Amino acid sequence: MNCALGRDAPRRDHVLLVRSPMILDLPTLAEPRHFSLAERLGFAALAATSAVLFWNRFWPILGRILHSRKDADFHLFPLGRRLWDFFWEVLCQARVIRQRPLPGLAHAFVFWGFCAFALVTLNHCAVGLGIGFLSPDGWFARFYFYLAAAFAIACAGGILGLFIRRFLVRPRWLGAHLSWESGFIALLIFALMATYLAAFFVSDANTAARLLWWAHSAALLIFLPIIPHTKHLHLVLSPATVFLSRGGFSHIPPLVGDEDFGLVAGADLTQLASLQAYSCVECGRCTEHCPAANTGKLLNPKEIILGLRGYLNEFGPTSTEPLLGKYNPQEAAFQCTTCGACEFQCPVGIEHLPLIVGLRRGAVNTGALEDDHGAKLFLALERGSNALGLSASDRDKFIQKQDLPLFDGSQEYCLWLGCMGGYDPKGREIVTDFARVMNYLGTSYGVLRKEKCTGDPVRRLGNDLVFQQLAEANLENLAQNKVKKIVSICPHCVRTIQEDWKEFGIPPEVEHHSEFLARHLSQLPRTVNEEKVVYHDPCYLGRYRDVYEEPRAVVSHSVSLVEAPRNRERSFCCGAGGGLAFLGEETGERVSHVRVAELVATGATTVGTACPFCNTMFRDALAARGDGAPQLLDIAQLTARNLPQPNQPNPR
Amino acid sequence: MKIIVAIKQVPERDAPVRIDAAGKWIDEADLNWALNESDAYALEEALQLKEKHGGEVVVLSAGPQRVGSTIREALAKGADRAIHVEAADLAQRDALGVAQLLAAAIKPENPDLVLSGLQSDDLGYGQTGVIVAELLNLPHGSLILHVEKTDTGLTVKRELEEGWFQTIELPTPAVLTIQSGGNKLRYATLMGIKRAKTKEMRRVTAAELGSATAPVAVLEHIALPQKQKSTQILSGSPKETAAALVEKLKFEARVL
Repeated sequence: MNCALGRDAPRRDHVLLVRSPMILDLPTLAEPRHFSLAERLGFAALAATSAVLFWNRFWPILGRILHSRKDADFHLFPLGRRLWDFFWEVLCQARVIRQRPLPGLAHAFVFWGFCAFALVTLNHCAVGLGIGFLSPDGWFARFYFYLAAAFAIACAGGILGLFIRRFLVRPRWLGAHLSWESGFIALLIFALMATYLAAFFVSDANTAARLLWWAHSAALLIFLPIIPHTKHLHLVLSPATVFLSRGGFSHIPPLVGDEDFGLVAGADLTQLASLQAYSCVECGRCTEHCPAANTGKLLNPKEIILGLRGYLNEFGPTSTEPLLGKYNPQEAAFQCTTCGACEFQCPVGIEHLPLIVGLRRGAVNTGALEDDHGAKLFLALERGSNALGLSASDRDKFIQKQDLPLFDGSQEYCLWLGCMGGYDPKGREIVTDFARVMNYLGTSYGVLRKEKCTGDPVRRLGNDLVFQQLAEANLENLAQNKVKKIVSICPHCVRTIQEDWKEFGIPPEVEHHSEFLARHLSQLPRTVNEEKVVYHDPCYLGRYRDVYEEPRAVVSHSVSLVEAPRNRERSFCCGAGGGLAFLGEETGERVSHVRVAELVATGATTVGTACPFCNTMFRDALAARGDGAPQLLDIAQLTARNLPQPNQPNPR
Repeated sequence: MKIIVAIKQVPERDAPVRIDAAGKWIDEADLNWALNESDAYALEEALQLKEKHGGEVVVLSAGPQRVGSTIREALAKGADRAIHVEAADLAQRDALGVAQLLAAAIKPENPDLVLSGLQSDDLGYGQTGVIVAELLNLPHGSLILHVEKTDTGLTVKRELEEGWFQTIELPTPAVLTIQSGGNKLRYATLMGIKRAKTKEMRRVTAAELGSATAPVAVLEHIALPQKQKSTQILSGSPKETAAALVEKLKFEARVL
């Protein structure tokens, strides 16, 4: 592009033909080339004001994050995972797009547009100060401006789409209240793109070019200070949030020292927690998939995060004011099933579960929780061996009656019964059938003479005293019995043994029975059965352990598998996790009933589960539907049905 | 109010009971120990009184070294300090012998109130608390569900049979034995356990408290109950079978 300086400037066409013989006669970006000193000073002053306003609001926020307690278990290295997450989640916008395709793509265009615009914006400001560096004559500038224009079109289209979605379509997850600030920001972004694109259609000799330049600048300088006042702070923070995240899934940090009881007050919030609280974009993806929020409970994961943000804004990161109070009611924190749908969905790397469990810890470890069912569970596990409050002799009788072999150190596998497998009637059926399958396969296994609850419900409820006692007692028992490999029918046991016990020792290898069965499918009888079984992905097997294919393979081995409407990582919780099977649900619809309704709607004649808790919840929900409700079978039961004849228990 | 709660460490509810070689007690090897159930309710009642009226809750327990863990549990739940009467021979003492130890430990403390569980989960005599009251020459109430402090002393609710209750007024100092179920128990918290580490636990040996008198009641022999099932089918008209049943219940089963 040529310049329009004074009378000497040659005419456009002529310049094009002479200087760039290969570039067609296309419009290019018009930029005013000459700003008077007054204009340049004016621009500098405005830019400075804008920057100061930005900083005035941003610095206190950054300060609150930096003044929070350090995360004791934070390790910057290995960088590999962090760099990959940054590349995939931030640059490629993978989760943003995959979990909500159309709005996600629209957002991706807006984001990529911003990235592509980096040089444009820099140059724009430089021009205003008289030191523009992208000379429109050069081939690079022309190429770059066209590239940016392409992104600008995509960005403008994206922001328009998002605006329509928020203000006309109005999805439930964005909340009932219309965010005018979002609308204004959308307008600003659109204005930025529009003023940029319009500059292609004017010549830089016009006042039009100048006006467009100033309009663009205005949009920019108004946008900047708004960023730290709104959720658009995520522009600045979220790349850091994704990069610095804890990693893993539902990674609960260990307590540090004698005075750490979890998230009791502001002073307990760590830097990661504060960073995450300020990164929330209020997109509502977490809420959309939350079983509590979907069934009329007070709990809304988005509000938990925004509540922490509100708390930090009012009380700060060193306050002793309880976190469960003005901004986050205790009731909400204890309605969480820890299903993880929220954390899984979050596009900016917020890890809801450590925060919610942290809040629970703060209430339980200090005795602030007054809940009869909770107290009953804690007392049962303080004194006894299982969460159901039953005598251990009950389990002994079950083992004797089913003639299950006892683990003596010589067998390959320890079959972990767990509370459900050892004491619950349905759980026992699953164990018995799985034992039949193992007998058929000739697997060498045994069950422990004594087991204590793995501590999953108290861990998720935040009772670290009882959890530590259970973990340590169990680890010692396993070591004494020389257990090397565990197979369990319960995903909660598997998760707790493998991950949560690590804090107190080295747990043996552990796997879920779906993984075991899938490995042995070739040795198990195959049938051709048209029976339709709808498989429900348990939270602790799916999202927590990434095990989706193995149970499906097991189901498909004997019957016709039907997918549930919300499946795999979108699976809708049965409602039992997070200790809620023991606390109970007091308000709204029952989560299990909602899930069962959609499972039944698939037309399947059987509901297939892989978790004894899901099994128990669905048993109740199906019973409530009356006669004609589908059968309920665990994958072990589906497999055992096909065994040639009832096997005698292994007399080892 | 200064309240002393006398607690006992007993075998865990789930513990497998095996009679020892001598046939006089259970085999204590391999057992897990826990706080006696009605003592837990006594402790809860004491803690609630302290929360309402201020003062101090002192936990007292007699027994071998392992009793320390149960004492710490009580401290974790909110007791202020503890006294551990070290006695390795607790199982060989009768209720009088144990009560003598406890009374000797309680006397110098001059408490306003002594609470203890109604009976122990292992021996179940139901006597120790009452004997303590007698040794200390204090008024007592047993089977107490609820305690209220009044200007003149205490008003307590006592459980009788068949859903009947009795309200008693008594002066302080007094001894009360507490029945299970009067309150909701509080759960042990991490904060409680951490704070308990700094609370005082005073140790005193049984010998320091005076020599024991010879037991007046001795456990001669312990055996597991014989379980036996026998089914009789009564035939005849309903009137006849009813009559036959009443006779059997009266003279064979002896439950009427």
